[in-house]
Amino acid sequence: MSFNRDTIAALCLMLASGGLMLASLEIREPDYGVLSPATWPRLIIVILGLLSVIYFIQSLRFPAVKTPDAERQTLPAFFSYWRNVFYVFIIFGLYLLVLPYLGMLIGNMLFSLVLLTALGGWRPIILHACVALMASGGMWLLFTYVLDVFLPRGSLTGL
Amino acid sequence: MEIFAEALLNIFDPATLIFMITGVGAGLLAGSIPGFTIAMAIVLTLPFTFTMPPAQGLATMIAVLVGGLSGGLMSGILTGIPGTPSSVATTFDGFPMARRGEPGLALGIGVWSSFCGGIISAILLVLFAPQLATVGLEFQPWDFFMLVMFALTVTASLAGENLVKGLIAGAAGLLIRTVGEDDAVGVGRFDFGSDYLLTGFDFIAVLIGLFAFSQLLSDLRDPMAARKALSDQKRIKVKIEHRRAIAILLKNWVVVIRSALIGMFTGILPGAGGSIANILAYDQAKKAAKDDSEFGKGDPRGIIAPEASNNAVEGGALTPLMALGIPGDITAAIMLGALLMHDIVPGPTFINDEPVLATSIYIAFFTASFIMIGMQSVVLRAFVLVTRIKTYVLATVILTFATIGVFALHNSAEDIWTLFFFGILGFAMRQFGFPLAPMILGVVLGDIAELNLARALAIDPDPILFFVRPWSLFFAIIAVFSMVFPIYQKQRDSGSWLARFYSPLMLVAVSLPLFMMGGAFRTSLAAIALALGGFVLARRANRRAV
Repeated sequence: MSFNRDTIAALCLMLASGGLMLASLEIREPDYGVLSPATWPRLIIVILGLLSVIYFIQSLRFPAVKTPDAERQTLPAFFSYWRNVFYVFIIFGLYLLVLPYLGMLIGNMLFSLVLLTALGGWRPIILHACVALMASGGMWLLFTYVLDVFLPRGSLTGL
Repeated sequence: MEIFAEALLNIFDPATLIFMITGVGAGLLAGSIPGFTIAMAIVLTLPFTFTMPPAQGLATMIAVLVGGLSGGLMSGILTGIPGTPSSVATTFDGFPMARRGEPGLALGIGVWSSFCGGIISAILLVLFAPQLATVGLEFQPWDFFMLVMFALTVTASLAGENLVKGLIAGAAGLLIRTVGEDDAVGVGRFDFGSDYLLTGFDFIAVLIGLFAFSQLLSDLRDPMAARKALSDQKRIKVKIEHRRAIAILLKNWVVVIRSALIGMFTGILPGAGGSIANILAYDQAKKAAKDDSEFGKGDPRGIIAPEASNNAVEGGALTPLMALGIPGDITAAIMLGALLMHDIVPGPTFINDEPVLATSIYIAFFTASFIMIGMQSVVLRAFVLVTRIKTYVLATVILTFATIGVFALHNSAEDIWTLFFFGILGFAMRQFGFPLAPMILGVVLGDIAELNLARALAIDPDPILFFVRPWSLFFAIIAVFSMVFPIYQKQRDSGSWLARFYSPLMLVAVSLPLFMMGGAFRTSLAAIALALGGFVLARRANRRAV
């Protein structure tokens, strides 16, 4: 019997089920309506909790998910293995934070350029700039002028 | 006739045709690139269709779908790497045929088989959907609730290797849908004082995040692979051989029809899609062949079977969607999302209430298959160009597009946050081996399940009715058997108790609700099921005793 990724996932799910059950106690009970707004979510949480317990037992008896070798070694090896995924998370998160200031046109161009360079390296920077310009600019034109969708302007850029 | 004419005008409107041609082209291309699935192409098409009239939007999505289903064969035949899981079996004989110097013939057989599969399933869709809708009119809220539960359990049991993970994903999908204001009484749930959570997650942003964003993250995970292109071939000189391909198809018409039927019925079953149908049809074609020695070396039947079946799947998946409002697979679930986006709720009355839209869907299905034939040669050239683009460039462009598309849904930056959160969640689920299909179905069907639960309890608060009404009992029984199915499948050849008695017990069990339904046809069906089940049960029990 040993802990593995499935065991940790099962524990997280059990904790989440418990937390959500507590949160469901906060749902207001109105005096009207047949089905209380909390009934359906609670029913799902109970099922989710039971399934998580089965998953937990299953993970201890039959560990299925193997940790990739590169992940097991050191912290730098872990970051190296998941490098691209972290790049996307961080760059996308930053993009969302600056979007209200830069607007969608400039924001998307910068997002594409930075992400392309993070994933593909500095050498093809001109290619990356062209792709960012054409892809983001093209889609902005398409949505703004063909599909009549108003895309957000930045409070700093005005674009 | 008026309805048909109006639907015809909807689809043959120049703007709709242009969108459909573009959609087929985009679908063919998306389907041909390994790692970029058909569902991803459909889900990314959704934001475009938001501003379109419903018929035009759905026609565009159907065009992407038909293109996507046929696109996988290009990559499979020319590179040996299937573009989508639906075309895995196509590579078994398509690639060897291409390597022995007949890529044009292999592509021709694939294209025309796809076309025939699509047309056969479109005909069956037109014939079956109204019949199934008539049956659906008998359904009461208890039955609809149990039907949703059945759809979730069967998807969970077929979508991944671990049933428990599938069920967890389905339950999580249902739970995600409960966040925000309750539809019935307007009370906030799981909002934790946040306005963003109080409005609930936009389910299209959830779908794009869960499916497209997480898929792109998976494609980018390996830094070395992300910097590579699919192929470094500068030119592929291929001319699709249409005439020879048609002659071969006519000679093997039985394989075409059998495979299309396999695809159609696999599609009707929730959760079972093209990835299962193409292997099943290939296997059947091989078993039925008098001489199967050429299979795996470039036998035309090895291309016909998977391609005819995978294109027929969507006709099957659209049948329960149009007749009952229950999608047959992920792509049909996204189509349901598109209908809901336009405030159209499909159900048993959909075909009668929205006859023009229903007929437009049928016509779009046929038209897209014809457009697909014409577009293959054009897209073949584009495919060669696209395969030379590095994965990280393609992924970044698609991610940028997804971001704008999600914003365009409601002009809300909060939806982009939803895309981001669910992208991370979907990626984590993929890494831990949780199937996404049950979760997506849970998100799409969550409201329908809760609504019918509330309606059922409003009529009669007795919960036992969920298990004693004929149709709800029927769905409950097949839901239980579908949950046991993965265990049965593993033990099928072991001679265990479950392996011997699973099928006869299921026949005996379903005979009960069929008897309860009454009527000459269903009673006869129940009697046959009971007799057959009882006979097999007794025979297997005796064999064991001996």
